[in-house]
Amino acid sequence: MIWKPKTSLGPGEARTRERNIRQWLYIGLAAVIGGVIGIATGFFDQGDGNLFAGDWESLKLPPSLAIGVAVLLLAGFVVLPLSGFRMIDDYKREQNYIAFTGGCVAVLAGYPVWAVLHAGGWTPPPHAFGVFALAYVAMLLSFLYARWRL
Amino acid sequence: MKNRLKVLRAERDWSQAELAGRLDVSRQAVNAIETGKHDPSLPLAFRIARLFDMRIEDIFDDGDVA
Repeated sequence: MIWKPKTSLGPGEARTRERNIRQWLYIGLAAVIGGVIGIATGFFDQGDGNLFAGDWESLKLPPSLAIGVAVLLLAGFVVLPLSGFRMIDDYKREQNYIAFTGGCVAVLAGYPVWAVLHAGGWTPPPHAFGVFALAYVAMLLSFLYARWRL
Repeated sequence: MKNRLKVLRAERDWSQAELAGRLDVSRQAVNAIETGKHDPSLPLAFRIARLFDMRIEDIFDDGDVA
């Protein structure tokens, strides 16, 4: 049974239920922050730039919106993860360590590989958002691997 | 590492969620420990031992015969 009336819950089950609710609130808040950032930057983008292409000169946002998005990014990439780390247990912390290691290794190996491939004429030059995306995707894949294996 | 967590839990007729709540960990953590996929930290091992009023080595077995 997925849901049980509250009266049938033992003390431990009630605490587990509270933990699950907190976790879903956390995920929901992260999704809202991500959604607001995505909509704001997509809707009010005034330039022709593309983060993936690395053409920074063409990226344009209203200054006040840029500050708001920067604050949301700090919340999403600093405050939320750090507060999340305080909520999770050993098991999930281990999964997160593996994810962070995957992201770090991807940058350490990915940047020089990208640089030499560019030198050989195979790829465009390495740029900051590409390295960020590399770390982010590697972190996500490492986390999924850890969840599957652990 | 082998352990008797599942047996001890069953003896008390607790669900994984019940045990998880009593240990203040996620249900997934209890499942991972029971199936031997995850070894608990020392503080968590002590919490488990206290909850069942047993010694750590009576619950967990690292297979090392000293």
